[in-house]
Amino acid sequence: MPLESLQISTPTDTTIVLTRTFRAPRRRVWEAMFTPERMRRWMLPPPGWTLTVCECEARVGGSLRLAWKSEEADPVMTLRGKFTEVVPLERIVHTETMALGSGQTIGSLVETHEFAETDGVTTMRITQAYESKEARDAAIGSGMDQGMEAGFQQLDALLARPS
Amino acid sequence: MVLDRSVRLDRVFHALAHPARRAIIRQLTGGERNLSELASPLRMTFPAATKHVRVLERADLVRRRIAGREHLCRLHAPPLRDATLWTEQFRKNWEARFEALDSLLVEMESEERSRPRRR
Repeated sequence: MPLESLQISTPTDTTIVLTRTFRAPRRRVWEAMFTPERMRRWMLPPPGWTLTVCECEARVGGSLRLAWKSEEADPVMTLRGKFTEVVPLERIVHTETMALGSGQTIGSLVETHEFAETDGVTTMRITQAYESKEARDAAIGSGMDQGMEAGFQQLDALLARPS
Repeated sequence: MVLDRSVRLDRVFHALAHPARRAIIRQLTGGERNLSELASPLRMTFPAATKHVRVLERADLVRRRIAGREHLCRLHAPPLRDATLWTEQFRKNWEARFEALDSLLVEMESEERSRPRRR
């Protein structure tokens, strides 16, 4: 398994945990994650969308504002949040609410980022806590866990065969 | 249609949420097995194994045929393919973001190197 491999797990009914390592000290990962001009580089919009607003104040009470606009018609999508906990280089917690241009809310979650550094390699753990199991399942599309993933890997060969 | 798909997926994920049922699926990747062959490596009673097989059947992951006195189970993989495709989208989106982050971090490193150091 390569060092950078993304791990996704669902430790509870309402959470998704993403773990990923980066070959960089956490100071640099932190800056890339929470500085607006850096965020624009990796906050890839869905195909056909453009990121129009990107504001991020990584301090307690600071706000997070993102907006996307569709190239096709007029719809706009926004994400608004507040930072509730900030331990520089270690841990950061923010709320986020996605909404349509009309103001209609799509869903809310609390996102926690945790950083650990060993020998210049940073492990980032993102925990997304949704309001309900249904909202969590809608986000991930399933209730997949590590064990299932291991099972799926063994099934790969079989699935490749036409049935 | 959408509801059908989500009900179907719910059943698949419920079926896969138990280690014994995942073990049964792994066994069945080796081919058709009867109920006692499935039960014995799990150190499980025959009725307990039957119960798990029923859950897998409801998710359409296992199909059963009766040959004489034997109940033969085989894996039916298409629902699994459906389920993996669905979750793969979530994974792909995040992988794409993190790969972009990887390149950004490399760039930031060379920026730092070329920047004159302050004392």
